[in-house]
Amino acid sequence: MKKISHLLFLVLISFTLLLSCSSRSKLTNDTLYFNLGTEPPSLDPSKATDTTSNLVIENLMDNLTDYDISTPDLKIVPKVAKSWKITEGGKVYTFTLRDDVLWTDGKKVTAQDFEYSWRRLIEPATAAEYAYFLFDIKNAKAFNEGKIKDFSKVGIKAINDHTFQITLESPVSYFLHVSTFSSLSPLRKDVIDQWGDRWTDPEHIVTNGPFKLTHWKHDYQLTLERNENYYGAKGKLKKVECFMIVEQSTALSLYQTRKLDIITQVPTLDIPKLKQTPEFHSGNFLSTYYIGLNTKKAPLNNPYVRKALASSINRNQITEMLQKGDIPTSSLIPMGMQGYNPDLGYKLNIEQAQEWMKKAGYEKKEGNTISWVHSKTKEPFPTITFIYNTNEAHKTIAEDLQAQWKKNLGITMAIDNQEWKVYNNSLQGSHTSPETAPFHLFRLGWNADYPDPDNFMSLFTSYSDNNHTHWGNSKFDSLTEKAKVILDKTKRVDMYNKAQKILLEEDTAIIPLYVYAHQSMWRDEVKGAQMNPLDRWYFDQLWLERNIK
Amino acid sequence: MLLFILKRLFISIPVIFILATLTFCIMRVTPGGPFDKDKAIPPEIKANIEAKYHLDKPTFINTPAFYKKKWIHVLTETQYFYYMKGLAQGDLGPSYKYLGRSVTDIILDSLPVSVELGFYAALILAAYKHNTWIDNAAMFTAISGITLPSFLVAALLIYIFSIKMAWLPAGLWDGGWEYKILPTIALGLRPVAIIARLMRTSMLDVIKADYVRTARAKGLNEVWVILKHVVKNSLIPVITISGPLLAGIITGSFVIEHVFAIPGIAKHFILAVTNRDYTLIMGVTLVYAVLLIIANILVDVFYALVDPRIKLS
Repeated sequence: MKKISHLLFLVLISFTLLLSCSSRSKLTNDTLYFNLGTEPPSLDPSKATDTTSNLVIENLMDNLTDYDISTPDLKIVPKVAKSWKITEGGKVYTFTLRDDVLWTDGKKVTAQDFEYSWRRLIEPATAAEYAYFLFDIKNAKAFNEGKIKDFSKVGIKAINDHTFQITLESPVSYFLHVSTFSSLSPLRKDVIDQWGDRWTDPEHIVTNGPFKLTHWKHDYQLTLERNENYYGAKGKLKKVECFMIVEQSTALSLYQTRKLDIITQVPTLDIPKLKQTPEFHSGNFLSTYYIGLNTKKAPLNNPYVRKALASSINRNQITEMLQKGDIPTSSLIPMGMQGYNPDLGYKLNIEQAQEWMKKAGYEKKEGNTISWVHSKTKEPFPTITFIYNTNEAHKTIAEDLQAQWKKNLGITMAIDNQEWKVYNNSLQGSHTSPETAPFHLFRLGWNADYPDPDNFMSLFTSYSDNNHTHWGNSKFDSLTEKAKVILDKTKRVDMYNKAQKILLEEDTAIIPLYVYAHQSMWRDEVKGAQMNPLDRWYFDQLWLERNIK
Repeated sequence: MLLFILKRLFISIPVIFILATLTFCIMRVTPGGPFDKDKAIPPEIKANIEAKYHLDKPTFINTPAFYKKKWIHVLTETQYFYYMKGLAQGDLGPSYKYLGRSVTDIILDSLPVSVELGFYAALILAAYKHNTWIDNAAMFTAISGITLPSFLVAALLIYIFSIKMAWLPAGLWDGGWEYKILPTIALGLRPVAIIARLMRTSMLDVIKADYVRTARAKGLNEVWVILKHVVKNSLIPVITISGPLLAGIITGSFVIEHVFAIPGIAKHFILAVTNRDYTLIMGVTLVYAVLLIIANILVDVFYALVDPRIKLS
């Protein structure tokens, strides 16, 4: 046996020695190796809806405006638009474009290219999921529904080659954020007409950003090369090789063996060990993990029961167990965003929770453990059901909540996991008859589409399709609607405080648990990288200082 | 022989048709659709998307058309008919997840990679018979090869050869032979082990057969006895299993491709289902079916070659 294993080793060694010279070309300061984590489902700005696609698109395309990720409040800065005017009380936005912006094929970027792109997003035939981004624009929704066929009635217009004008239905304070969305990058009509769905192939694609796509091997790797026609400051990297390695531990192994320079996800089990190294970076996202309560289903139709549940959770225990550095929060609006208020929402207070159970009409029965019976019917407090989509972290949270509520409040909870699509189906399905839905509680997270509190607060209006709590409060609705259009910062924050108080305390429709943290690793030789709450990666801002012999 | 193959191919057409129909049914019964997400899509936008992919049409029978007395539309204006019509013309449709890419493109991109890896793994299989050290190594690893799950084998290989010894890359596919070694071993180990065990058991059976004794009694050389009488006759069970095994190797292993970041087709067998990418599920299922059918025909042909008692008819 020994002989055989020796032989095997010998063969392997000779193979490797033979090949070590042919291994990948030498590392240089021109080329960065990055892990995208997965195949971008689409590089067509009108169709992409996920973070991976958008990461690539943001490096390929320059929009009217963009965020300055080095500023804490993510300031909006000019890009293709050199300036903009907001007139008619916030209803009309007029963007003036630079006239030195070129496409990779040498043609000039014009306002018409923007008009085409914005129009394409709401064109019914495009069937773009993100068409609703533009529903604040005059007649955009009706055009998308097919009720209006004449595009000239829609408030999107290229006045001339470098003036682009948007007319809104009514003013909204966050509209400037819309102009940063990568879904609204300018597009070339002639290119798309010529190549159809295949226009995003490297041999056809025409872009205007700091990089161009030169190679795309699906599910494996794509190559971005510096756009030498770029109007802005030229980046130092000539090439970025983006790999699509899904398995995080493989990506980590490749990082450790110098095949990758940056990985944007780290296997959870390795975090405690990697934390010690200077190459490990952690930051918080603009996203909140929350528990939703089915407010129509007994016994959770009683607000005092909901308050009791919310006041008997130790959030620190949960985040410590997850070991990902997530930040406990009781506020829906996440840390780092206007309107974030750590004082809102209930914290752990067991005595108060038990008081609320009594107010809800339950009597405490002392035994070895606490339990509750209804003071009139004498029926024991029923078992409540929590559903989550199958995932290790969600499971840990569910089990911990189960234990905490049992211990702190004496409430028994059953937990049930479902596959992601089935889970979405259950949540949507509960809208027809929430009282008989097979769950009392569920989990969800929300990741900011744009850094404005409206993006979070409008989730829970009584008419929001994303509100699976079946809770509605007209005061909350009107506060959220009003805050949407107010430009005064303090007034706006004040309104959001009032609205959050209703949502989290008075009615307790949801229980926020934590703000998501995200981890990345990059080598010392990677310069200019920084964690940011939107998890953006602008490759033109990075450079390499490798120790090359 | 040719007639037999043609006949078998002809019979498999209805098999594929039935399989496609069954897959179609199972997909539509499964809760959740390709465009269902946690983020709610406004109904008007959902309507546009469904219209684009014909998902707004009834699945099998168009009852509104029945009431309108448009008799043909009862069956033709349905999702099933649209899909089958495309399939009959060789169009597998657009992917619902990778927007803008067709299922045919996805399969053409990923299948060759899996076939390439499968080919290397099959090379180990082929080498097995001739080289004794592989034979012995296979026996050595036979038990562990069958019992150890492939993700563990893959993780062990990466740990030893990539991280500890830094000889071979921990993943990726393009860029030379060194990238192919670990995945090939990880993928090939299990089938080699299975076949090695099977071959050995089968040979032990045959070696006791009367005709072997007769052969020896005739005074034949021992090598000749083993090669001509024992090995050949003990191949039957091995051939039976190697057909499906080969189809399995060619379509790859989700675990191996996932762990080594190889852009093969195997991942689509799993991910297309979790994404409810209806057309892609159907596409990869059909690819697997066709490979399995071909493998089984080959198995039958080999039976006849190996054992004269079996006749193709």
